[in-house]
Amino acid sequence: MNSNEAIVVCRCEEVTYGQLRTTAEEYQCTARELKLRTRAGMGFCGGRTCRIPLDRIIIDVLSNVSRSDIPLKYQPPVRPVSFGTVGEKND
Amino acid sequence: MIDVIVIGAGPAGLAGAITCASSGLKVMVIDEFIKPGGRLIGQLHQELSGEWWNGIKESERLHQEALKQSVDIRSGVSVYNLEKDDDLWNVHTSIGTLTAPFVLAATGAAEYPIPLPGWTLPGVMSIGAAQVMTNVHRVQVGKKGIIIGANILAFAILNELQLAGIHVNRIVLPEKSPLSGKAGEPEEVMKSLLNAAHLAPSPLLRMGSRFMKNDWFRKTGMRFFPKSGVKVNGTPLLLRKAALEVIGTEQVEGVRVADTDANGNIIPGTETVYEADFVCIAGGLYPLAELAAVSGCPFQYIPELGGHVPHHSETMETPLEGLFVAGNITGIESGKIAMAQGTIAGYSIAKHAGKGGTAIVEQLNQSVKNVHLLRKQAAIQFYPDIESGRRKMYDLWEQLYANPARLHTEEKLG
Ligand SMILES: Cc1cc2nc3c(=O)[nH]c(=O)nc-3n(C[C@H](O)[C@H](O)[C@H](O)COP(=O)(O)OP(=O)(O)OC[C@H]3O[C@@H](n4cnc5c(N)ncnc54)[C@H](O)[C@@H]3O)c2cc1C
Repeated sequence: MNSNEAIVVCRCEEVTYGQLRTTAEEYQCTARELKLRTRAGMGFCGGRTCRIPLDRIIIDVLSNVSRSDIPLKYQPPVRPVSFGTVGEKND
Repeated sequence: MIDVIVIGAGPAGLAGAITCASSGLKVMVIDEFIKPGGRLIGQLHQELSGEWWNGIKESERLHQEALKQSVDIRSGVSVYNLEKDDDLWNVHTSIGTLTAPFVLAATGAAEYPIPLPGWTLPGVMSIGAAQVMTNVHRVQVGKKGIIIGANILAFAILNELQLAGIHVNRIVLPEKSPLSGKAGEPEEVMKSLLNAAHLAPSPLLRMGSRFMKNDWFRKTGMRFFPKSGVKVNGTPLLLRKAALEVIGTEQVEGVRVADTDANGNIIPGTETVYEADFVCIAGGLYPLAELAAVSGCPFQYIPELGGHVPHHSETMETPLEGLFVAGNITGIESGKIAMAQGTIAGYSIAKHAGKGGTAIVEQLNQSVKNVHLLRKQAAIQFYPDIESGRRKMYDLWEQLYANPARLHTEEKLG
């Protein structure tokens, strides 16, 4: 099990399984707080790969997460876009 | 003025677009991939009837049909946000913001990742990536591979890799952990494979299924599961071996595995290394519903459908006025069913838009029946309890949103 601590779960921000578990256990936090504390899911891809493992870690650590909600909330933009593209409407 | 914006040019989106356009609506389809077809263009498998399901052909047929109906298809365009402004939906895309009163979200599915040590090495990919490289881009992913994860998707793509002359040496399970979930538990894996045993990709499991339908047989089956595995299309399926790590310095050189007991616990001292130059991780599929989520649509977790799905009715409407869904975003099923769901959504939108006259109710009705029929005949089914998952969603819809008008249509659909 020990080598698993070093698994890179969020590739963009290089956050490991060990870091995520320790943080989740210490703070007993929501998926969003886990993300903000570790930066997992906040890199270039916007968490498109690691969001599922993040959710699974939270569900494993906290027994009382409601399963009808998506643990880590989706926020726009759901794809990487330039500031120019997002700003278009306010021109 | 566009009447309907369809997000996703897979079978569901294209079928929906064709149906809307043939009812007289002006339709635009947006997809971020370089060409239309969605996941169809990677698919190739044999039906129970012996006929081949050729996804490239199917997608070309749909594409041509859509063009004939004057559907405007924009490939290579991403949607990054979806929100409603009074009466119109704003679809924010990489080519600007488009508006329409109706949106069909048909964004398909994504793969569950299973992180393990060494998974960042070049040569490790998801099983779906191997499918796209092989069947869409015609790139050989490697010479000698190992698949980590045993499910219907893995078997379907194993078959496709073999057809392309690519050798897959073994299928093993991921190590049991919170990250791999049920995919790392041999008994759970066996159970889901056996439930799907009548389906096309697993002739061998089909034979075994008669003997292994109850728990006792399953347990002994797992305990006596041969160490050398059973063969699926000639490739050993090793349900009692777990992948501990992908090894290699510059790129994949192999996978370190260990024997497990029937529950997936590692048996110490049994480690070996299997050589490989590529590794596919097969974690299964979940509905890709991020745009429905940012639009504010409520969700339900229904594992029988593959994960979290946006609330929707059997006629593909969501609780948000003007927003419809179809295909794998509503639950994981095969391309054929996604296409038929797209047709339902198309009729449903046309009906809401006041098109199609009196015939539309009957057409909608028929299209719903057609999905039931196709589901019964499906040659490939990713989640064995799909039927009960669908029922759960529609019951929930009844509870939460049914009003007299809706009840009326439901009765007719009976
Ligand atoms: C890797 C993989 C392999 C599969 N293999 C098989 C198989 O062998 N056999 C089988 O029957 N089924 C297979 N499936 C299931 C497959 O999802 C269905 O067969 C079918 O293709 C679903 O149709 P759809 O129209 O719902 O979605 P898709 O065919 O997935 O189409 C969705 C489209 O939406 C686009 N899209 C998504 N988000 C956005 C966005 N934000 N902006 C713009 N465009 C977007 C995508 O580019 C895609 O083209 C596979 C699925 C996956 C993910």
